[in-house]
Amino acid sequence: MKVPAIIECAVLGAALMLASVAQAHHSNSAFYVTKIITIKGVVKEFRWSNPHVWVIVTVDDGKGNKVDWKAEGRPPGILSRAGWTPKSLAPGEMVTIDLSPAKDDTASGLIARVTKQDGTILANAPPPTE
Amino acid sequence: MKLEKTLLGMIIGVVALHAQTAPPDFSGVYYPINPFGNFRGGPAASGPPPARTGPPPRPTASAPLSDGSRGRTPNEPSLTPEYMAKWEMISKTRIAGSSEYDLTAKCLPPGMPAMMSMAYGMEVMQIKDKITFFSELNDALRRVYLDGRKPSQKVLDDPTYAGYSTGHWEGDTLVVDTVALRDNTFIEGFTPHSDQMTVHERIRLLEPTLLEDEITVTDPKALTKPWSTVKKYRKASREKGNDELREFACAEGLEEAK
Repeated sequence: MKVPAIIECAVLGAALMLASVAQAHHSNSAFYVTKIITIKGVVKEFRWSNPHVWVIVTVDDGKGNKVDWKAEGRPPGILSRAGWTPKSLAPGEMVTIDLSPAKDDTASGLIARVTKQDGTILANAPPPTE
Repeated sequence: MKLEKTLLGMIIGVVALHAQTAPPDFSGVYYPINPFGNFRGGPAASGPPPARTGPPPRPTASAPLSDGSRGRTPNEPSLTPEYMAKWEMISKTRIAGSSEYDLTAKCLPPGMPAMMSMAYGMEVMQIKDKITFFSELNDALRRVYLDGRKPSQKVLDDPTYAGYSTGHWEGDTLVVDTVALRDNTFIEGFTPHSDQMTVHERIRLLEPTLLEDEITVTDPKALTKPWSTVKKYRKASREKGNDELREFACAEGLEEAK
């Protein structure tokens, strides 16, 4: 049976919305936390928000395409104590991000650290409490 | 002279009596000892750089593995077959990347006793008849009543995430019992429990800046034997610049998902 195009669109829309919700709410189980990949690109957006901070980075995939990666960080409370501020990153700056890739194969991951162009490292947690 | 001696004796007596009866004050902001293991990914951006040559080593992980793919350790609660099967089922969903059983991922409170992990920091507020524990993670809160009240039937019929806690002092140790807990939270990690779970705690200062919580969890339905764990928390200070927790406002993420 041919599914009317409008229903296909609605189903696709609902699937995208669910994907968006899943993206926003998850535990670390959404990522391969013991794997690290490195991406390098230009900050498109730095979102200082709870329960996760987001760095959207435009990465050149080497094939002439620009891909927007969504790098997720710990919440502002933790990152503040790790030395971050709402102004730590700005759109347009180059960054290198070590991150654990998402299990759903999207261009996203959990931040292990962010390295700014001047070499400053933004860690994903404060120094250990002893 | 005699009067002076008598007065001095009275003062010493009152001070000694006060020291004997006044409970310690746990108030303050605390952080658990090393909650993230070695997964920081590098030094803090602020603070002195560590002595080293060359670039820092590349991190090998972003967080501790929390999907159960390496099984359970002997230190974890010993589960009955029914609850072990539940744990294995949840583990499968987590390995597949899902957080569907994780209430904290839905901005709900972690619940007792999981909330005492306090990975994002804890604030203790203490007055004579009540001590309140606040968790930065998900802005979760629990109250411990110290005025001798006991949980009523109404309380027992109305389980909550933090449960209902009453406590008393045994010398310098605060002894707390928690009942009326919901059955859909985790004991720790993603270890499930039943509605029969109760939590017993002994909380004391080991040093002026080191708080210890000995936690014992009893659950005749989910556990084959009571499970105990010890949490330690270091007190923050203004000098260290870490004595202010930040608002968590988890629902910001729910708003953005719309």
